[in-house]
Amino acid sequence: MSAPAEFDWNGVAIPFRPGETLAAALLRAGADRALRPDGEAAFSYFCGIGMCQSCLVVCDGRAVEACVTPATAGAVVRSRHG
Amino acid sequence: MVEALATSLPAEVDVLVVGAGPAGMAAAAALAGSGLSLLWIDQRPACGGAIHRQPADGKGRSFAPPSARAQWRRLSAAVAASGARLRGRHHFLGLDSDGHALVEDRAGGRVHGLKPRAILIAVGAVERVLPRPGWQLPGVRTAGGMQVTLKETGEAPQGRIVVAGNGPLTVALAAQLVAAGNPPLAVLEAGDPLRAGAGVGVGALALLQRPRVLAEAGRYLAALYRAGVPWLRGCRVAAVRQAGAALAVDYVDAAGRAGTFDADHLALHDGIRPNRFGLPEAGGAPLVVHAGDCREALGAIAAEADGAAAARRVAAALRGLPAAADSAAIRRERAVQAALARMFAPARDALSLLPDDTVLCRCEGRTVGDLRALIAQDGGLSPREIKLNGRFAMGVCQGRFCGDNVMALIAALNGRGEPAPVELLTGRRWPARPVAIADLIAGCDPDTK
Amino acid sequence: MATRKQRAIIVGAGIVGAASAYFLSRAGFEVKVVEAAAPASAASGAADGAVSVASKRPGPLMEAAILGVETYRDLTARGVLDGLFAERSTFMLAQDADEDAVLDGHALSLVRSGVEIRHHGRQDLRALMPVLSPQVRSAVEVRREGHAIGYRIVNRLLAASGAAILRGCRVDGFATDGAATRVTALDTSAGALAADVFVLAAGNGSAALLGLAGVLRPRKGQLFVTERAAALNAGLPGSLMSCRYLMSKDSTDRRMAAEGQEDGGRRFGLVIDPLKTGQFLIGGTREETDVHGTDLAALRLLLGEAVAMVPALAGVRLIRAFSGIRTATVDGRPLIGRAPGFDNLIVATGFEGDGICLGPVTGRVVSELARGMTPAIALEPFDPGRFVPRERAA
Repeated sequence: MSAPAEFDWNGVAIPFRPGETLAAALLRAGADRALRPDGEAAFSYFCGIGMCQSCLVVCDGRAVEACVTPATAGAVVRSRHG
Repeated sequence: MVEALATSLPAEVDVLVVGAGPAGMAAAAALAGSGLSLLWIDQRPACGGAIHRQPADGKGRSFAPPSARAQWRRLSAAVAASGARLRGRHHFLGLDSDGHALVEDRAGGRVHGLKPRAILIAVGAVERVLPRPGWQLPGVRTAGGMQVTLKETGEAPQGRIVVAGNGPLTVALAAQLVAAGNPPLAVLEAGDPLRAGAGVGVGALALLQRPRVLAEAGRYLAALYRAGVPWLRGCRVAAVRQAGAALAVDYVDAAGRAGTFDADHLALHDGIRPNRFGLPEAGGAPLVVHAGDCREALGAIAAEADGAAAARRVAAALRGLPAAADSAAIRRERAVQAALARMFAPARDALSLLPDDTVLCRCEGRTVGDLRALIAQDGGLSPREIKLNGRFAMGVCQGRFCGDNVMALIAALNGRGEPAPVELLTGRRWPARPVAIADLIAGCDPDTK
Repeated sequence: MATRKQRAIIVGAGIVGAASAYFLSRAGFEVKVVEAAAPASAASGAADGAVSVASKRPGPLMEAAILGVETYRDLTARGVLDGLFAERSTFMLAQDADEDAVLDGHALSLVRSGVEIRHHGRQDLRALMPVLSPQVRSAVEVRREGHAIGYRIVNRLLAASGAAILRGCRVDGFATDGAATRVTALDTSAGALAADVFVLAAGNGSAALLGLAGVLRPRKGQLFVTERAAALNAGLPGSLMSCRYLMSKDSTDRRMAAEGQEDGGRRFGLVIDPLKTGQFLIGGTREETDVHGTDLAALRLLLGEAVAMVPALAGVRLIRAFSGIRTATVDGRPLIGRAPGFDNLIVATGFEGDGICLGPVTGRVVSELARGMTPAIALEPFDPGRFVPRERAA
């Protein structure tokens, strides 16, 4: 049995299924419910169709909408604020 | 660089088709067989758009009703037969003043300036979501946003869910959540489609002519009934509050009684509207044609017909043939949507009563109070002055989620009836979505030096 | 003795018109502003917001700009522009030896005009702004100038003036008295509007009214706005101006063509403005047209240069592109003063890209002229009479 594919979210390994978006995997992992020390959500998600920009993350150094970005194994994904 | 070569786009193309939802699929399938060369793009890797979002692994369960599954099979077969090939993960950024269609290759990290003879834009709808106090809190998302993840993963969100807003989609989502094994606590509906007279009149006839609509609605409502999910009509969300790690959803019901649901997720939806932001207007050179929900938000059935009709118009124009007439299917769906809108019409104006600290613009945190203060300063301010001085529609979503609400509230505050067109607030400027500067300066086509 | 208030009508609600409204109103005039579209709908609403002496050509414009910055400071101290004027430095950057030389010459002019500057070498710059590319070899810092968003200044000054604003009101011409030495009324789409003093600050709309088509010329500028990038923004203590910007301002300077900075009659001069919101405003072009529009070629040239100057901008996303149509004059100097032949018609227009800096002080000067006082700026170089009107709308 092979290990499930994972990407790195702020230092935490997040498993995902092939073909899933970053957003789907992050929501399953409850990333939108985890509050950061400043009270902001580490991940927020709203429209799901790449329009509202709420789910913007930095994936391998690039700012992308998590809801239209396929998850890839080993990707380094960070919250983006500011 | 090998990758750059592999991702390069055709230099010469007759038609650029943007979007691979029902309208884009129908258009691409029709154009691929017309002898015109085609570049067909979508922001996602695969066809379907939001409405036909398929399970990520290609075999998960589908929550789509039979008519939607039939449409998906029909469109997929047509695309396959036509040989049209989709370039996934490409975003349309707009049309510049030199006539370049700007296409961002997201995976390749570059922007191309192309000169197609025609651009057929089918980028669908965006949801309308009315502001409510606290709607910017984590855990609040659009009903459509919840629905696409449900379709993609086959799973409902974990925890307690409340679905609220206005229109048939809230009921559809709730029934799909039931099917996925996590029935919502309730569906709060601002209108009352079952009230005496709601379905009477010309509209009822339109609905009766489309038994599909009634049958689907019946199925959804029966699923909610069986699962014990209350459908609270005439009921609005008064506020959303953070309560520990969860949300407290305060509501007021039809009789004016207040109550609260403790929930982990709140899905909001108040209808759909064309996703026209930052897009070039129809007409001109290159020929620009809008198709499907981004032209008129009538849903998937109309979008399919509209996409095919738009493809015929483009083919006719590029080959100097007469254009085809408006489709009967589109007229029928227009009547259906109008009837549904009348049925679901909310009882009261939700905007004027909002407290000052309600966030209007989610991107920039601008509030209802900020807008009231501007209008109080000078009731004659033009939409552009309101935008610039109030910073409305100036954030990264470019007004998609505040523009309509701002215009409606301006009309309400100034005692006018119909809101002015949202384009007066947002303008029509590219880029239609944010784009990395690195990508903009990376793709140096010979044509744009 | 009970006299009625003197009435002033201002044509144009850009920054010059708004400032004139403010100062005239403060001087006791009853003010009406007539605007063809809406306040700040032309160049004032599409400007980079530089309240800067740094980029001005040596001579009368530089002198006027010094007073321009002072006026901002004064209005801020009085609370009128509270929160809208951000005082900070402008850094003019050189990336090669030629630019170094241009910068040195310009620095000398600034010093001669009494402007406080500071030279920075490569090492010094890297310590001050680590986000700058090592390619930047020197800078001249002009201190104590600032930034103001044009449309916000217009909004604030109009509100503070209490003037009546007629939006969407077209002016077709002037009615004069028998001797044709005084304007008695404006002929407008809202009817004839009478007043004691008239101010023409209508940008490109002034040309037909003054019969100065050809003297006043539309000049387009393209500007680009990014999303918020707070950390990078905080790394820039002031606005950055490419040395080439200085050259682009001077349409007679042929160096632009030599350096590939001129393309089909348009010129490029890079300015990177870190906005208070954490966003960046990046500009701009100078194009001989009155047709709005933004294009990928201009964007690539300017943003490519911006990234060469501040490499981390590459990872920031662009969210808006827009253009504004400035009003330029053939000799590069604005028109400020009485219209030839008329005692009570004051012209204040043709500022090209300097309106945000010079608007408030010009409003003050307009009010001084209206009251028969000696204006704060010596107006000879800006006298509208230097151009003979060919055909005045009347």
